Amino acid sequence: MSESLPIVEMAGISISFPGVKALDEVGLRLFPGEVHTLMGENGAGKSTLIKALTGVYKIDEGEIRIAGEPRRLGGTADAQSAGISTVYQEVNLCTNLTIGENVMLGHEVRGAAGINWRATHRAAGQTLKKLGLGHLNPKQALSTLPLAVQQLVAISRSMVAQCKVLILDEPTSSLDANEVEQLFTVIRSLRDQGVAILFVSHFLDQVYAISDRLTVLRNGRFEGEYRISDIDRAQLISKMIGKDIAALKSLDAKDSRRVRPDAEPLYSAKGIGRKGAIDATDIELHRGEVVGLAGLLGSGRTELARLIYGADRPDTGEVTLNGEQTEITTPAKALARRIAFSSENRRDEGIIRDLSVRENLVLAVQARRGWARPLPRREQDAIVEKYVSALGVRPADPERPIRLLSGGNQQKVLLGRWLATEPELLILDEPTRGIDVGAKAEIQEYVSVLADEGLSVLFISSEIEEVVRQSDRIIVLKDHRKIAELEGGQGVSADSIVTVIAEDGLGDASADAAVREEVTT
Amino acid sequence: MSAKHRLAQAIGMTTVGALALGLAACGGDSGGDDGVTTIGFVAVGPEGAWREANETNIQDTFTEEAGYELKYAPATNLDQKSQIDAFTSFVDEGVDVILLSATEATGWEDSLKRAQEAEIPVILLDRGIEPNDTDLYVTRIAPDNIEVSTAVADWAVSAFPDGANYFVLEGPAGVSVVNERNEGFDAVAGAQPSLVKVGAQTANWSTEEAKGVVETVLKSNGNDIQFIFAQNDEMGLGAVQAVQEAGLTPGVDVKIATIDGTKNALTALAAGELSFVAEYNPLFGETALDVVEKVLAGDEVESSIVVPSATFDSPEAAETALPDRKF
Amino acid sequence: MSANAHGPSEALKGLVRRQYFWGIVAIALLLLVNLVKDPGYLAVSIGQSGNLAGNVIDILRAAAPIILIAVGMCLVVSTGGIDLSVGSVMAVAGAVSMEFLNGASDTVGSGLAAVGLVVIVSAALGAVNGVLVSVVGLQPFISTLVIMLAGRGLAKVITGGQNTTATNETFRWIANGYVLGLPVVFLLALLLALLMGLLVRRSALGLMLEAIGMDAKAARLAGVNRRALLFTVYILGGVLAGFAGVFATASVMTVDVSRTGYQLELDAILAVVIGGTSLAGGKFNITGAVVGAILIATLDKTVVFLGVSSSATPAFKAVVIVVLCLLQSERVRRMFRQRRAAGAARPAEREVVAA
Repeated sequence: MSESLPIVEMAGISISFPGVKALDEVGLRLFPGEVHTLMGENGAGKSTLIKALTGVYKIDEGEIRIAGEPRRLGGTADAQSAGISTVYQEVNLCTNLTIGENVMLGHEVRGAAGINWRATHRAAGQTLKKLGLGHLNPKQALSTLPLAVQQLVAISRSMVAQCKVLILDEPTSSLDANEVEQLFTVIRSLRDQGVAILFVSHFLDQVYAISDRLTVLRNGRFEGEYRISDIDRAQLISKMIGKDIAALKSLDAKDSRRVRPDAEPLYSAKGIGRKGAIDATDIELHRGEVVGLAGLLGSGRTELARLIYGADRPDTGEVTLNGEQTEITTPAKALARRIAFSSENRRDEGIIRDLSVRENLVLAVQARRGWARPLPRREQDAIVEKYVSALGVRPADPERPIRLLSGGNQQKVLLGRWLATEPELLILDEPTRGIDVGAKAEIQEYVSVLADEGLSVLFISSEIEEVVRQSDRIIVLKDHRKIAELEGGQGVSADSIVTVIAEDGLGDASADAAVREEVTT
Repeated sequence: MSAKHRLAQAIGMTTVGALALGLAACGGDSGGDDGVTTIGFVAVGPEGAWREANETNIQDTFTEEAGYELKYAPATNLDQKSQIDAFTSFVDEGVDVILLSATEATGWEDSLKRAQEAEIPVILLDRGIEPNDTDLYVTRIAPDNIEVSTAVADWAVSAFPDGANYFVLEGPAGVSVVNERNEGFDAVAGAQPSLVKVGAQTANWSTEEAKGVVETVLKSNGNDIQFIFAQNDEMGLGAVQAVQEAGLTPGVDVKIATIDGTKNALTALAAGELSFVAEYNPLFGETALDVVEKVLAGDEVESSIVVPSATFDSPEAAETALPDRKF
Repeated sequence: MSANAHGPSEALKGLVRRQYFWGIVAIALLLLVNLVKDPGYLAVSIGQSGNLAGNVIDILRAAAPIILIAVGMCLVVSTGGIDLSVGSVMAVAGAVSMEFLNGASDTVGSGLAAVGLVVIVSAALGAVNGVLVSVVGLQPFISTLVIMLAGRGLAKVITGGQNTTATNETFRWIANGYVLGLPVVFLLALLLALLMGLLVRRSALGLMLEAIGMDAKAARLAGVNRRALLFTVYILGGVLAGFAGVFATASVMTVDVSRTGYQLELDAILAVVIGGTSLAGGKFNITGAVVGAILIATLDKTVVFLGVSSSATPAFKAVVIVVLCLLQSERVRRMFRQRRAAGAARPAEREVVAA
């Protein structure tokens, strides 16, 4: 199939945003009748590349050829007329219309007296049949379908639009195994009809199940294009994170610190879980210990953290805190029990943009006291002074609205907000994402200091090296479940974690067992 | 009227008001074939004592004993749309006669045509419609607003032989009653050069608003107003309070005339606070019953039937009338 | 900003930057228009028994109920909500007090009891709003719309559909009496507004409400108890509307179930917007809401004073308010500023300060 001419050829694509080079001479080839997966960590440039192809972003350098013709894509309309169609995670269909009307929207069959609805629905039925969705009744209201099937309808719609290239950006993130299989059936039948499919997913198993070829991006650069049969999981992961296997192996495992295995755990949960977010999981956290959560995006890292904090309500599980059984169902309850959680979504779930640095800092402490017991100005000033200087927040003007600070300083203020509540357990979800190197190092160092002072820290990062460096113990998650728990200082490295993730689900139970054994020793 | 009855009625009014549409829509089987005549009453609902007396009187007239089933549908918050909806469902349901007291004069053509097509006679009660197309309804039964307001003006002319500055408290702009009451009053008072109109404002039939308006109007005219014409009793009573608060004596410094003739107004007249009350007789249930019987029998009726109204020009007259006052 | 302060001119600039500045300007302009019609407009005389009398006093009195509902609305709006039920709560409050006083003796005790009853009933209505919004999770617009419609029905049930009148000197005094020569009703409104201001700014209520209104998700993760706060704020709004209902009915000692408080929720929302609180929620300004309420009362009184004809009244009010909103709009203000500052370069606020 790759012997034919590529339908899309992107070469030397560069896109810069103020201060950042998002894409640096990246290339991508899509052939008719293939499923091509775009791989890369967060921030590697996947979505920027997709937006360049769909005409959302203008390219600074490089060339896009479609069916051999150089094309300038000035907007999404250009891309659509060139036969490039996108199905987003958030399905945008009209739920109040019928399935058929949605499939045919804008391409209704017209007769002498306007739209011929019967013919339109018949045509919709044929399209659905071609994609193995013949069981759907085109006259049924779309709203009656589960979200996953609605997504399939959205895909069928791009068939009607006669698209040559279909982009599926994380289509499986909210689907269960059955629904994924249904989706793959549709994708395969589209592929067999000669459509080129660009697929983005963080689930390695799915990538290996559906892809013919893949392109890896890292830090906005092209890392390589491979046939799926030519690259194994470990190689793929090392390409994504940019360390080759040998280098990963040579990384020294650092000395074990701080762990006091005999001590009673500060926090322990048995079978804590929530449907669709994370399977029932056991987890123990000790004072003075940094526990890392490692795993690819969508593996359930954040979901687990949110359950511990009560940001989402657990369906199952028992929680023991300081030896006492307890229930943590809301963030307010967690804070009252001295658990703090810094969300990965700093902008929407962390800072409150229009409040000042001071107000953002004292918010959680104040919330815990209740509105009727305002924090005296003197104590507010003390908190502000303590954390602004301890964390090096710049500029050190507490009355400035926090939105005017840089990302790194916003993150420091948030860290201060949580520390001001004097937590015993601090959960940090991606505390260093998207901030500059200097602030990142400062925050990492501060986390170590906190653990030395006896705090229990749960540390989440998509940078596996960072997790390894920070953590005394690492819990590895994959596909919404815990697959391993590794003690630090026993030869644990980014490599061994990658191996665990890569080998899980290969049917190679022995590797898994070996790791588990390692944990128990 | 016993308190219990009143409460029951009140609950009835609100719930019926809300449910009228639903009930009306479901009541498809309530034709006139079982010997009972069904009357749909598209009413105004709670608006004041006058309306209360009027609608209670209608309801008390078209009783089951008299062989009628009256479906009472008051407007929600005086909203015309709710009236049109109720009207339409009465037509769909096929009642025998529709009685209509429109909250607003305009915008009834389509609804009335529908009733005509369904051969349902419509009788207007109190409020007229605009444009006044007499082909669209059988008759309008009402006291004559023009006649009543002319009576007020006639009184004003005789009460102020040396002339006076006067102010008019109007109902909401655009309502036919307001237009008619202005028309009758202006025809006489406007022809009298000694009566000087210093202004007119709406107080939306409300005591509270009337008080606020008069308070300001007295100031803007340096208290140089001798006569206030309030187009309903409630506004007149608000004017009384504003005049008192300005340090003037109602009935002496400022004479206030009102239309409607409710018990509260006659009490104020007896106390000398109001100077003239023209009744706008709400009790025309009997007349309506008479007309409905004629219409159902196929007899011709006049396209406009005037209900006679009285006037009260002295505390004594008010005292005589008070014991029998129904509203 | 503090570095280049230049005394009074900077203070004036500070005032100009306040959102409600244009509200104050509008009040001044309306007063000026009245003054042109009657040079004695602003005169305040000492009437009988030493009370102040005059158009300005009338405006203050008319503003009192609007001030109360505007302050309540301001708090609700800051959480990103809206309370459409205030007008109906006023009617219910009026109905409850009139029906109670109608059967009670004319004593101070029964007057106060009526007020107490109003507080209980209006708090209950506010609580229903609060439950619908915070526990059931209905949109504030819908929840309060329900109470807006049901409330007026309730008022009608309470009075039996009639406009009930009562006599009670104490109750009447609330709206018509004077203390230190000033109308009680305005002093009470101001006092309640001040108390609310102190309550929200001296406690952490204001900060919490703003946090919810600005970013509900982040506020929740910071442990802010959204449910309890919304509940509190709708109850406060209800009670303030109840007081406004007392003011409105005590003025004439009559409740008009279809007219008392009719469409006043719109006046309250307008007052809040004029006062510089965004309907999107977040930062709120109680002083601004009070200014807005006084502006609306001034506008109402001006319409009558000028003798604008009844049919033209809505248009006149609309024009004034549209102009005011235009003046407040950031975009329009920026246009003005650019024109004024042509040449004199103004240092722009930098969105991001490097770490």
